[in-house]
Amino acid sequence: MPPSRTTEEKISQSTFSRQSQKVSNFFSIPAPVKALFEVVPVLSYPANPLPSRGPKSSRIPSLYVFSTERDAAAGRPSFNPTCLKWQTFLNIAGIDHRLVASNNHASPTGILPFLLPGVQSSNSSEDSLVPVTSNKLVKYAADQGLRVNESFDVRYEAYQALLDHRIRNAWLYTLYLEPRNFSAAAHRLYVSPASSNLLVRTSISHMLRVAAEEELLKHGSVIDKEDLYNEAEKAFGALSALLGNGQWFFANQKPALFDASVFAYTQLLLDEDFGWKEQRLCIALRKWDNLVQHRERILVRYYGGTHQ
Amino acid sequence: MSTPTDTGEPEIGENSTLPVTINSISFIGGRNTRRTFLDRLFNPLLSTNRDHPYTLAEALNKVSSTVTKLRRFEIFHEPISTFIGRPDPTNPTSTPSDIDIYIHARERGRILVKSGTDVGNVEGSAYANVKLRNLFGGAESLDLYASMGTRTRSAYQAIFDTPILSDPDRRVTVDALSSTTSKFWASHEEVLNGGGIKYSWATDSGTRHKLGYTGVWRQITGLASNASPIVRNDAGDSVKSSITHEWISDARNHPFLPTSGYLLKTVSEIAGWGPLQGDVAFWKSEMETSGALAVPIPGVRGDSGVSLTGSLRAGFLCPLPVGFGSKSEPSRLNDRFQLGGPTDVRGFATSGLGPHDGQDAVGGDIYAAAATNLLVPFPRVGKDSPLRLQVFANAGRLLALKDRKGKGQVENNKDAQKDFYGTLAQLGDGVPSLSAGVGVVYAHPVARFELNFGLPLVVRKGEVGRKGLQFGVGISFM
Repeated sequence: MPPSRTTEEKISQSTFSRQSQKVSNFFSIPAPVKALFEVVPVLSYPANPLPSRGPKSSRIPSLYVFSTERDAAAGRPSFNPTCLKWQTFLNIAGIDHRLVASNNHASPTGILPFLLPGVQSSNSSEDSLVPVTSNKLVKYAADQGLRVNESFDVRYEAYQALLDHRIRNAWLYTLYLEPRNFSAAAHRLYVSPASSNLLVRTSISHMLRVAAEEELLKHGSVIDKEDLYNEAEKAFGALSALLGNGQWFFANQKPALFDASVFAYTQLLLDEDFGWKEQRLCIALRKWDNLVQHRERILVRYYGGTHQ
Repeated sequence: MSTPTDTGEPEIGENSTLPVTINSISFIGGRNTRRTFLDRLFNPLLSTNRDHPYTLAEALNKVSSTVTKLRRFEIFHEPISTFIGRPDPTNPTSTPSDIDIYIHARERGRILVKSGTDVGNVEGSAYANVKLRNLFGGAESLDLYASMGTRTRSAYQAIFDTPILSDPDRRVTVDALSSTTSKFWASHEEVLNGGGIKYSWATDSGTRHKLGYTGVWRQITGLASNASPIVRNDAGDSVKSSITHEWISDARNHPFLPTSGYLLKTVSEIAGWGPLQGDVAFWKSEMETSGALAVPIPGVRGDSGVSLTGSLRAGFLCPLPVGFGSKSEPSRLNDRFQLGGPTDVRGFATSGLGPHDGQDAVGGDIYAAAATNLLVPFPRVGKDSPLRLQVFANAGRLLALKDRKGKGQVENNKDAQKDFYGTLAQLGDGVPSLSAGVGVVYAHPVARFELNFGLPLVVRKGEVGRKGLQFGVGISFM
């Protein structure tokens, strides 16, 4: 009958819960030991001071980029396109940050840049140590209340693809697979800072070149130098046409993420101090005046001009 | 007279002072062993190479100690038998005092393939090992290891070892290593690729020395998402090129459960200075000493099985300028010391002592640690079993080198010295981090196992103590 069944259920449930409690009591710390644990440690001292090597934690967020120590301290543009894109984005968004010269091993995902949020107070939770990877930076900026207006133009994806594939592939080829450019630029920027040892440098150079080749082979079974350069030149032409006579892309009043993406490549290709020996891609870019001016505009606005 | 002995120990009878000359030594069974290798061992025994005759006792002792040396190369099966014979008196070249020595040995297999599990300090691993013995006939060996473990994710090692001048106490070792180790206490993995060459020798008093050069490419990678800024800063590559010297004098009666004797050990390393080059430069020195005493219990005759052991460890790291430069850089995470754990300072988590940046143990440049244990045999089991009850107290202090000027780089030698002595003085600041407890120790032939109940009594903020049960396995405990 229903009433006795529910009573039975109740009895069996309480028996079960009592038994499971017995089991957990068996594994839990007995009361006298718990009391002992409360008493220790008997004496507590303040924390040990930290070793001196390394950046001190700071209130403002730190963006870890490929850069030299001096350039990072001065806030100068990074020499890596992805890092420079996000560095410029943060500048456009007006987020106060400092730069830390780093390498890809420091990154949680293996790629730079990433952002370490600032330490708000000495008792901040460990969540503040969670780095913000580059794909989450737009959301991070929005969370800080600093929106960067993106345009919702239908052609946005198409033009972004031009940058991410055509221009990036040509960039990879010209920097890593052109021997003269590799030894004059890539070696100095990426290989030498890693170690002073010749064997290690040789190994790292080899790994960089193999990685660049693999990346290029994803888009085709053969690496065709002419094809890569031609596609990039056409892409620059398309970008130039898109910019037209305007100041910023997509006829925005203020620069946005897309401007930062274009600047990332135009700045490094047009930079005379970069060390380009095989300048075919740079010369191709220089043909488009409005892109050159766009680069200078951003350089002056956010980086204090061309000659520092 | 024919006296077969199977361990080479002589039967010294009534003829022990009989003058003898060793006419010849025949070695049977050394097909793959080089003649020159054996010559160097046995030639000094022949009477033609000595100016006065032996007594029988002397001769047998000499032969037996040479055979013991031969045993230590581990290229022959046990036992190595020694036979003594008299040459035929009708042989015109023999003299009446001559004896001939016959040594009979069986060579071990030249290839050994092993696989199994291994135990290190708080780590377990599975390994495969190929050992090539007596490679060139002179007791050289080549060991190839591949292993995978709980901490050492993967390791590949090749070690070539050869005795010098047929002396088992003098060896040259060349090794190459490639490994990936998880350093979970500092949220990263360390990849090592490198090799070295070492020369080890033993003095007559039994102390052992080892001098070597190592070159290693280290990479800190695989950072966890909550790694601290100090660890992120040291992520990446660095090359260490260093010379190390190790000195051990071990007079304990048992490596895991000593009841008498002492141990003295020093390890010194100089990296990157002068012609050594590399990316890091420092002078590092560590010292370890321990002693054991049997404690007599009044009313118990003979050995009570109760022993008191004490040990002390200390070390420092002093940064130097790389190569022939003048400015020295502060130490890197890879080179600093770690302290804490079930095998050194019990009652604290692994690398639980010292400076901590958030959750990460970033290591220190100067440390000192002391331990004292009272080992008591279990009442019913007795002192002959490898099981003991222990009461312990551990203390330790791990400090990072001061940087009073706060510049992160040492400008000149005077500042460096002041920073160093200042940090050394800090070791005595206040009470060191301290823990005490009780536990059970089991001395297995392979390793020492411990299960302790410890309480951290003095802790600094950021250091990680372990209240309660802690299990430790290892080969060298404090």
